[in-house]
Amino acid sequence: MKVFASDCTFDYSWEEVSTANWRKYCPWNQSSTHVIAVDTLSRGVDASTGILRAERLITCQQSAPKWINALIGGKDTSHVYEISYVDPESKKVTMCSTNLTWANLLSVRETVTYQPHTSLQTKFTQDAQITALCGGWQKVKNSIEDFTVERFGQNAKRGREGFEAVLEMSRRVFGEQRERQQHDSMKMAA
Amino acid sequence: MSASLAPECNEVKERYDSCFLKWYSEKFLRGNASTDECEPLFKEYRSCLSRALKDKGIENMLEEARQDMKENDTHHLRRS
Repeated sequence: MKVFASDCTFDYSWEEVSTANWRKYCPWNQSSTHVIAVDTLSRGVDASTGILRAERLITCQQSAPKWINALIGGKDTSHVYEISYVDPESKKVTMCSTNLTWANLLSVRETVTYQPHTSLQTKFTQDAQITALCGGWQKVKNSIEDFTVERFGQNAKRGREGFEAVLEMSRRVFGEQRERQQHDSMKMAA
Repeated sequence: MSASLAPECNEVKERYDSCFLKWYSEKFLRGNASTDECEPLFKEYRSCLSRALKDKGIENMLEEARQDMKENDTHHLRRS
């Protein structure tokens, strides 16, 4: 098993980050183009805790090297199953995900959290456990794990850049909306 | 917003996503989650998506993952 961990701080409030997180993979994000679809499978607020729980299916364009595709009979898309938990009271987003594709060969379990750092900043943490499950040579398993950790790191970096772009656009659009609303209400009052 | 894996569901998904985002930022985060005005749209989107998941053979993979990931609820679906 190999572990990939990273953290960073976004210069946006937790409310902004947790809202923009739902559209992280929209066209404003030019960096994570390998994500081609995000579907919501279920969502609901837990009656006793007030925590929002949502299940999503994320579809990615496959970009594994030829030797891995050859080994397992490559498809052109892969899927990730994700559960999000949002506690609005303690202000915490937790997202747990696992790969659906190649599940017999490889297990990628990721946990992401977003929590307030200051009132204007949000702390992001990411932790992924990557385990090759196939039988056979340790050398092959190690290569698969190494490749996956490397790819994971590249996608994490791109994900961060793309999310920054989404945050910036969200703030701009929200600001314009607010301005328009203020303008309209002033016109109404006049 | 992002697309659906089933192009035929894109239109209803778009409407649902917009509804959800508005509900999330204006109600849920402000502690007013008692009403859920997006439920009818979600049902429509969900029935479109279900067909696609079955047709593409994803439903079975999902069911397995759901079982494996169940334990997360014990950790995260409670007040810390």
